[in-house]
Order: sequence, then structure tokens, then C-alpha cells
Amino acid sequence: MIRAISACDYLQPVPDGAALPPLEAALKDLCRERFRRIDRFIQLALLGSARCVAGRTLRPDCGIYLGSGLGPIGNNIVTQQQLIRDAEIPKPVNFVNTLGSSAGFYVARNLGLQGQNFFISRRGASLQAVLSAAIADLTCGVVGQALLGVVEEVALPLAEHRLRQHLPGDLTLAEGSHWLLLQPGTGDSRSLELKHFTKFAALEDFLKSVWRTGDRLCCARSMEARVAGALRRDFDAGARPDPAAAFHDSLEAAWLAAFAASPEPGTLFLADGSPERGWSLFYLGA
Amino acid sequence: MAGAYIRGMGLSCALGEDAASSVSALQRRQMRPVALRLEEFTEPVQMPYYRIPDRAELFDAGRLARLLPPAARAAVTQAGLTPGEIRRLPLFIGSSCFSIGVSEARYAAALAQQPQTAIPMPLCGYQDMAVVLQQTLGCRGDTYTYNTACTASANALLGALHMIELGWYRHALVVGAELANRTTLAGFSGLQIVADALRPFDAARKGLVLGEGIGAVVLSAETDSTNRLRVLGGASNCDTWSVTTADTGGKSVAAVLSQALEQTHLQPRQVRAIKAHGTATPAGDTAEALGMRQVFAGVPPLSVLKPCLGHTLGACGINELILFAGALQRGFLPATPGFATPDPALGVQPITAPEPAPDGHYLLNHFGFGGNNTVLVLEKTAP
Repeated sequence: MIRAISACDYLQPVPDGAALPPLEAALKDLCRERFRRIDRFIQLALLGSARCVAGRTLRPDCGIYLGSGLGPIGNNIVTQQQLIRDAEIPKPVNFVNTLGSSAGFYVARNLGLQGQNFFISRRGASLQAVLSAAIADLTCGVVGQALLGVVEEVALPLAEHRLRQHLPGDLTLAEGSHWLLLQPGTGDSRSLELKHFTKFAALEDFLKSVWRTGDRLCCARSMEARVAGALRRDFDAGARPDPAAAFHDSLEAAWLAAFAASPEPGTLFLADGSPERGWSLFYLGA
Repeated sequence: MAGAYIRGMGLSCALGEDAASSVSALQRRQMRPVALRLEEFTEPVQMPYYRIPDRAELFDAGRLARLLPPAARAAVTQAGLTPGEIRRLPLFIGSSCFSIGVSEARYAAALAQQPQTAIPMPLCGYQDMAVVLQQTLGCRGDTYTYNTACTASANALLGALHMIELGWYRHALVVGAELANRTTLAGFSGLQIVADALRPFDAARKGLVLGEGIGAVVLSAETDSTNRLRVLGGASNCDTWSVTTADTGGKSVAAVLSQALEQTHLQPRQVRAIKAHGTATPAGDTAEALGMRQVFAGVPPLSVLKPCLGHTLGACGINELILFAGALQRGFLPATPGFATPDPALGVQPITAPEPAPDGHYLLNHFGFGGNNTVLVLEKTAP
């Protein structure tokens, strides 16, 4: 049994015309050293991971699983402008931070970790990608603990950021850093499980067998609307998470981390899949 | 430890446009870097470069969509997967560049046409390679895209391996892809670690030479009578000494090598040879050499492949696995051209002539920016 022993959810809507909230003061209290060559994406990763760990001593074989749909987009914009618009060789710090793994490096350094450190993306479903990788490694015994995070950055100006992602012009955008600390074992913390189903009917039957009043269901955005609609009708009609409230590419992670951090009763289910991919159900229990 | 079998391989790199011809060229110790000079920057970028010999313009934005599918299709075809298996096939992709070259081209075109409305990073995220492969091969399984610098495709392979071992998937397509782009070439030029030639572990080594390549492997839970290569396992860790350089004392390299051996229940004496990472940077080779010496009383024979195909960055894990595995299938350990003068500070030297490759266990080293270290364990058995 895998348990989520800690969680942190940072979700910050960014209104049009507003500046991004400064993170330096918060990081000063959370970081063991002052990191100088870091960008917004790394700042967000440091903030969420340190809050999630909250001073706990981590196992030496704790792995880091960082997911993101867009990665360090603000730094990548600066680098591309230097290169294409200004015809200049990118500054070394900008070039190195274009790699998604740079954020994981600073998280590991801040928390004193030396285990495996992965950056994995699946557009619109990076949470499911890192959850799958972490659960697989915990189940195989490759890592004894997994610090799993999903980070999405907002790049200003917002109008360009919406165009870049083909989003409606009136959609409220958010940045986020959502983290879970996972480890095998028993205890009072929430359990995390993943089940695979070849057929959709088997997923439905399983949900019927375990569903309790008060449980919640999220259908991944990648699911066919008809299938997701059927699940919502049968189990939980609430639109979760609500993309109209504040959107980023991995919004399901905000919902999952917020639930994990809360004392709310019940189980949260995240369904994903298609007839070709098969079906998967992640669930975070009481 | 079940591991997973290599059922199919496809490759396009500076050595050749398919896996078989690339292994033949490796056997001949072919080295054909081209001289590259980019005049468009305020400071010219000049370096040797190992390019795929496809005759297209180097920064042609259509190369990604043209070059990615054939390598993947070759691996899938060789694996003999049924149409249903191909439809369900999950993709594990490792790269450093993704579609940045396409993004650069679109931004440059927009700047030329309407500079006021040009948006930088018009293509963002990491999904484009997966989309190209899904559209051309018809695979609709889950996708996992790894971005861990030069260990990306090796880590993608480990991820696929663990999920196959758990029975989540029967087969997986693991792809490493790196194509020329301005960000990478100018970025490495700015780091000043690019040399005029690759001399791994040599006393006169000065740095790396970049290259491009696309490799694909079908990893499978099942074997057939002809299958002789199995990925047994591996390990990955993070060295937080520096974001761009491994601890030159070799501690984290030794740790990841030991973890890989422990994870596959092997003793150091059981390792027949090592495919070294061998970037030929002064610090990188020092860390790798000292790390290997801490684990092995006598370091096994070392092969370095980068002098023949260049450093293909995030794709090197799969590209070099394919070349090394192909060499093992033909019964030889590849020689390392470019090495001439031993460095007494390192205490290791790669083989300079091909050697026989017996059945047994082989390690493949990969190290990258962000402190990422990954070692794969490959087993060759008699048919």
C-alpha cells in the first residue's frame, strides 16, 4: 500500500494586468541556501517541494518525479528571444535552465536528496504520467519514497500565453506547484492506488463496487467527452476541477494535492483512458 | 529480476540512416563530422558536428516529422508487433530538444513577417514528438516524455522497463531523438565545452562534439528464439555538486554504478565491458573514470561511441544502446577512435581496437546536466 504522507498545493490565479507575485521572501525561509541562477519555474518547484516536505527527514532513496506540461516556459521565451530576435548566443544560465531537469536539481540540492530525479511530461496529463512513474518505482522497490510534484508557470503577457496554448481570451490563468510525498506502508495518511482496466465496463463496475457517498470523481481532460459525461452522470456530476476558475495545463494536480492536504473524508478518483490506451483509475483514499 | 527484451531497433545518425548500416560503419570506425559555421549571431558559432546524412538543410523545420517516424517504424517492424499491439503501444520518449527547432523556425518567420505580433516559443511543451509518432505509426497508448538532459532516453528506457515488469504493458516503444537546432548549438558554444575533436579519456581531451540522431527500441516482456539481448535493469541518481558538472571525485558515479549492480544482483567481476559515457570534457571524464575505479578493482574493457556519432545529448541513451547492442550481436566490442594518449590522472583507457564480445553482462553509462546519472545493465545470451 502506498500512502501520501504529506501534500502541498500552491495555486495562484494571475489576473490580467497583474504582476506575478514575488516568491523570494517565501523561498528565503524555505531554502537552505540562496540560489542565484534560478528562474520562476525553479522557484515554484522549490516552494512547493519544501512546503510539502515541511522539514521531514527524507529517506536517502527518495526519488523526485517532477511533471509539467509547459516546463520552464518563461526562461525558454527569454532564451529564444536572445537567440532569434537579438541574434545573440544565449546566456549559459538561460541555456542550462531550458532543461526541465534543472528544477529537479535545485529541489534535490535544497532537500539534500541524491536519489533518482526525473522530469516527465504528458501535455494535459502530466500528473498521470508522474503518478504512474512514481507508483511503478515504489511498487518495484526502485525507490523507498517518492516526492512527486507538478509545476506550471505563467509567462507574461497573458494574452500571448493564451495564444501559445490556443486558449480562449477570457480564461483566467494560474500558476501552480502541487506536491505529494509518497511512501509504502500503513498508517493514518491517505492511501494512493492505481488500477488498470482493459475495458471501460470493468472500470465502471469497479467504481460501483467501491463508491461511497461523499466520494469525488475527476475525469481527465483527455477522456472522450461522451465517456466522461457518462461517468459524471453515474457518480459525481461536479465539474472537477473547474477550468473556468483558474486554468493551467495540469489543473488535476491542484485538485489532487488540495484534497490530499485536507482533512476531508471520502475518496478522490481520477479516471483516464481510451479504448486504445485502456483505462486507469488513480484514487486517493481516506 | 525479469528485465525486458529488445525486440526491435531503428536508428538514424551520422553513421547511417538505419541500424544495420550504422553498426557496420561503427565497426569500420567511421568518423564524419561536418564543419559547421553559423554566421547569424553577433559572435559566429563554429564547431564540428555529426549530422544525419539526409541532404536537407540542417535547420529545415520539416526534418522532425520526416526523420522521426522511419526509425520508430523500423523498430516496430523488426519487433513483429500485430496491428492491435501497435495501436496499444505506449511511447517513452527521451530528448533534449523536442520540437525547439520547429519553434525557432516559426518565431523567426513571424519576426520577419510581422515583428510586432511575433510570439516567442509559439510551440511550447514536450508533446510534439509523441504526436508525430502517434499520427504516423497509429500507436495510441500512453505517452511519457522525459527531459533529463543527456540521460533522458536512458531514463525513458528504465521507466518502460519497470512498467513492463509490473505487467502494465507487454511492449513499449522507447525513442531517443535529437536534431540540430540553434538553441542547442549556440547554447553549447556559449558554455565553451565544445572541442575540435572528441578524444574520450585522452590526456589531450578538450571537450565534446555534438551530433544528432534518432533511435527507437521496442522493449518487450516476451522473447523469441532469436532474441539474445535483454535489458536487465539499471539505476539512476542525482549528483547535486553542480548543475553542469558531476562531482569530479567520482562519488556519485560510483554510487549509481553500485546501485545498478545491486539492483540486478551482479558482482563487479561479472561485468564483461562498459559502454562509457565519455563526453571527453576534462571534468566529465574525470568523474566517470574515478567513479568506475571505486567500483571495479580492475575496470572492464571500455568502449566510447561518441567519436563515431557525436554526443546526441538526450537521445544518446537509446542511440548508443542500439549501436552497442548491434555490435554485441555481431560479436565485437567497438573500438574508440580519437583516443591516443592515456591520462595518468584517470587510470583508465578505452579499447582502441575491436575486441570479442562474449555472452554476459554489460553496463552502459550516461551522465547529464542537472546532476543526472543513469546506468543500464544489458545481458547478451546465446541464441
